[in-house]
Amino acid sequence: MQEPVHERLQISPFMAAFIVMAMQFGIGVLGFQRIVAKEAGYDAWISIIGIGLLVHFIVWIMYRICEAVDGDILTANVYVFGKAIGNTINSFFIIYFISACVAVLGGLVEVIRTWMFPNLSPLLFGSMYLILGIYIVYGGFRTVTGISFFGLVIPSYLLFSFAYAIRYGDFTNLLPILDHSPLELLKSAYSMSFTVLGFGVLLFFHPFIKNPEKSKKWVHGGIFLITLIYAILAIISFAYFPPALLNKSIWATLEMWKIVRLPIIERFEYLGIANWSLIILPNVAICLWTASRVIKHVFHLRQRKGVWFVAAICLLLILIVDSRERMDMFTSFHGKIGFGLAFVYTPLLYLAIIIAKKVKKK
Amino acid sequence: MKKYFFIPLLLFTVLLAGCINKKIIDDVNITTGIGIDKEGEQYLGSAMIPVYNPDKSIENFIFTAKGTVVRDLMFQMQQTSSQPIVGGSLDVTLFDETVAREGIPHVLDVFLRDPSVGARVHLAVVDGKAKDIFEGKYGDRGNGRYLAELIESNYKTGNLPLTNLHQFLHDYYQKGKDPVLPYLRQTRPDLVNIAGLALFKGEKVVDVLDENKLFYFKLMVDYYSEGALKIKDEHGESFIKSIHSTYNFKVKNRNPYKFSVTLEVDGMLTEHTGKSLEKGEIKRIEKQMEKQIKKECLALLERFQENKIDPVGIGHFIKTQTRNFDFKKWEESYQNASFDVDAKVKIVEVGVIE
Amino acid sequence: MNNFFKKKKRWLQKSERSVEKQEQEIKKSLDYSKTHFINQKNNKTFTLTFIQTLVDDKIVNNNMLPPLIEEEIASVKEVEKRLPMSDIFVSKDKNEIENKLFHGYVMVTFDDSPEEFAFIGAAKNIGRSVTSPEIEFSVVGPKEAFIESLDQNINMIRKRLPIKELIAEEFKIGELTKTKVCLLYIDGVTNKQIINTVQQRLSEIDKDEISDSSYLTQIISDNGNSPFPQLLDSERPDRIVASLAEGKIAIVVDGSPHVLIGPTQLTEFFNSFEDYLLNWILASFIRLIRLFAVTFSIMITPIYVAVVTYHYELIPKDLLSTLIISRRVIPFPPILEALFLEVTIELLREAGARLPTKVGQTIGIVGGIVLGTASVEAGLTSNVLLIFIALSALASFTTPVYQMSNTIRILRFPFLFMAELWGLLGITIAFGFLLTHLLRLTSLGQPFMEPIFPFRVKDYKDALFRFPFNMQAKRPIFLRTEKPQRFSEEKAKKKKDIDE
Repeated sequence: MQEPVHERLQISPFMAAFIVMAMQFGIGVLGFQRIVAKEAGYDAWISIIGIGLLVHFIVWIMYRICEAVDGDILTANVYVFGKAIGNTINSFFIIYFISACVAVLGGLVEVIRTWMFPNLSPLLFGSMYLILGIYIVYGGFRTVTGISFFGLVIPSYLLFSFAYAIRYGDFTNLLPILDHSPLELLKSAYSMSFTVLGFGVLLFFHPFIKNPEKSKKWVHGGIFLITLIYAILAIISFAYFPPALLNKSIWATLEMWKIVRLPIIERFEYLGIANWSLIILPNVAICLWTASRVIKHVFHLRQRKGVWFVAAICLLLILIVDSRERMDMFTSFHGKIGFGLAFVYTPLLYLAIIIAKKVKKK
Repeated sequence: MKKYFFIPLLLFTVLLAGCINKKIIDDVNITTGIGIDKEGEQYLGSAMIPVYNPDKSIENFIFTAKGTVVRDLMFQMQQTSSQPIVGGSLDVTLFDETVAREGIPHVLDVFLRDPSVGARVHLAVVDGKAKDIFEGKYGDRGNGRYLAELIESNYKTGNLPLTNLHQFLHDYYQKGKDPVLPYLRQTRPDLVNIAGLALFKGEKVVDVLDENKLFYFKLMVDYYSEGALKIKDEHGESFIKSIHSTYNFKVKNRNPYKFSVTLEVDGMLTEHTGKSLEKGEIKRIEKQMEKQIKKECLALLERFQENKIDPVGIGHFIKTQTRNFDFKKWEESYQNASFDVDAKVKIVEVGVIE
Repeated sequence: MNNFFKKKKRWLQKSERSVEKQEQEIKKSLDYSKTHFINQKNNKTFTLTFIQTLVDDKIVNNNMLPPLIEEEIASVKEVEKRLPMSDIFVSKDKNEIENKLFHGYVMVTFDDSPEEFAFIGAAKNIGRSVTSPEIEFSVVGPKEAFIESLDQNINMIRKRLPIKELIAEEFKIGELTKTKVCLLYIDGVTNKQIINTVQQRLSEIDKDEISDSSYLTQIISDNGNSPFPQLLDSERPDRIVASLAEGKIAIVVDGSPHVLIGPTQLTEFFNSFEDYLLNWILASFIRLIRLFAVTFSIMITPIYVAVVTYHYELIPKDLLSTLIISRRVIPFPPILEALFLEVTIELLREAGARLPTKVGQTIGIVGGIVLGTASVEAGLTSNVLLIFIALSALASFTTPVYQMSNTIRILRFPFLFMAELWGLLGITIAFGFLLTHLLRLTSLGQPFMEPIFPFRVKDYKDALFRFPFNMQAKRPIFLRTEKPQRFSEEKAKKKKDIDE
């Protein structure tokens, strides 16, 4: 259906997992605990595991979609809805990925401004960061993959730091288990879904995987790992904070780092925040890449130019959402679109493809 | 090359506009201790800044300010200082007893909102004035370090339960548990002593536990206890160092509540003033110690009940055992609850001589 | 390769210039020599033309003249047959004259047929003899290093690889210098695509002057705008042979004692050949130490600047007093202090490198100790930073490849700048740029960051670590060799059972 990608540009199946993981692991990690605990209290870790299972299912559907049309979601949309409607839907993805980029980068700027440098210039930092993102995208998808890989592997040592919080944790906080109604658990799962979003990028880079069949086990493994990390992090946070205190902590993960003391580092959270800007990097790069690729596909604009355009819009939006309320509004707006796309639109698209295939056969 | 023209341009912009507030270590006043006292109707705030001498000794300088709002105190101190006062390396925060008895929530709010204050800051209540404690001279590593290490070493190897800002906030916000803070007293101009434990009801101090009760309190709230205890019986005095202890709460009855507390202590005998240790002697010391622990712990629990406080966290414990727990009812039932303390002492080491 | 010779340069194409005209041009040089002789047997006159400085007198006097004068030789054809020398050939092409004369040939012409020339090779070999390696010195192992002679260098390689599969392709590069460049590879092992890439790049070079192999590194590298070298140069024949055996290519340049190896990976630049001469445990440990040293060397000054300028909270309480006391009297912000010291160190290095060895050492020691102590005492720099800078300078010397150690010297300056701008955050962003740059680099078309990315577990056996030789049975994957197996793995792995 689609022009195949040259093998020189493709990535190994193993690396596909890192892109999905990198997208799932973003700025949300710093403060998801409070949001999930709002509805389901300290039973929320069950919701996290639940939403993880759902993600596995959606990823399975995504693979089916890509296999069915032998290409990415852009071809799938055109295949099902025809050129005009299909491309209209496709151009919608540009907005989605721009907003994803803004949510992540804006979130980072907010964290830095609150915790480290209150008078950091968003314009300067944002443009520096986006230029770095463009530099990555110019290197092609393989470089984007490389950054995703390093963006997860290098900061992975941060996970060990949470062991310090265990010493101060009171795991009886989680008792009694299942103290909340299924409805509350579902609501909590819904709010958690915003944090784990991003795996949808699979639909866009599927043609770039050298052996998509082999990549399935890695991608599913990666999603499992991320779910596990989220669940464990939630459990540690629930042990560390009493409910009333967690409700006050916007960035619970950062708060937990405050207790860490290493022989040469007195306050770990500053190191953590600096490192977090490396974790965010793949998110920004992947968003820029995907958005500019969709632009190329729909409007036939060279990716080299498209990515500048995307970055400029991102920068503009970051300057606009500069306060806590606006940021909150923006993230929840972005989360809702993402939720709709991932959990509602994707299954529907799959159904539509099945129907379209049957109709076209006749 | 034309496309790279933006690089020098960018560098130039960055140089001009990129500067953010610097906090170069020798150009800021790094506070290591903050004290809040009550003087009349006003707060008297003091901030202790270490002054580093070229001969590597450390002296202290104290900024003070008076006011009714804590935030205002900081602002006033800032006005008298030639360099910005920063709190990122804060070691201790002391409250005098009057302030603590009136409640310290607004102070906590300052701490909570300022991300530069670490979670390992030590809070303590002071017998006397916090400012007086800061004015003493303890060792040559600075007063802030001394006070922090005093508390740290006492919860690592002494009878003090684990305490710092995070632990305090944890207990404060934990439903069914009340926070405690160490209670400091200056005994000499160059010595500060941990005189006990200040027990809070919410944000206010309602009772102060004496130093000799700390061992029993720690048995009930902390696992890794390395405290020490003196046991007296008819054969002489023995000094037991507890290597390890565990506690275990159980609900025996729900209406009225009856809890059983099991304390297991593995101790080490380090000193014995009686005749040489015979086989039965150790058993006797163990028995004596068990009796003492039972008696003292029960007394403590009842004392807490009387004061309507719950530093042990019985309320939190029963909450974890009950679905849809109602804290409002608990307040009443706590008063009627009864306890059963059981202690198991094992002396595993008697030193190198018998 | 043949294409290259077809595309002859324009100014050479004034073909069919007369012998006289060429002579007129060459005559301007003082070392031009033209002598007439008469054959004693048949009284024919012949002429020897050569450039004195390029020709070995002994060959002319002892081997060439006696038969030419005493024996019955009447034409250039007979010269070729009768002379007891191997490097002779006959030509009628006038354009050859200049080329051959300046490569140390003696031209023989007979006066009765001036349009026929015999060229006899009598080049004088002035050059130093083989010495021990200076830059890549190792305590154990061979003590031979390449010299400036191409023939001698290839001889050293061939001696170690006496197989017909070792192919040496010749290229002539440079309109003026006409430098002989030799591409070496093992046929049937090295990937054809890599060979093609190098052949193409070498033949496309359009530069008048090539004086050293490092010229080629800069010209044929995949990315010329990168501070990172993408071809490894070595002065050790054993290292070249080991690389050839792995399936890499080597480029030998006449007049250069350094031979290039490609394709390379980043990690290879931190490997010394001595790693292969030591036990694998020691070698792996030393490699890790080196990597640590490099990271330390790049990062420590920027981290100092970042922490002291922005993140005093990070400093442990006990260290805080040391740092503050050391900075108390310093009038400069940390960035200027650091730049001052870094530049001083660079100056010392540069001065040490330019001066004769003995003086250079003295300058290094005197400069280091005197300047360091004096600047601390004068209150210009803090002693803590001085320790860091000295350590990082020391650490940067552990890099075995000289080109890479230069890169590392440069790298810390952008980091310093970013540290001053945004503290640790700036360092992370600078690191992001560095990482992206490295990811985008390729060496002869192969990814530079391999095996870290693309992640290939199997190639770790000789990258960050050096595993034992019996685990090195396969050639590195990234070279995509035609024969991935080096030797039988089973045989190497076979172990006797207990008490067998």
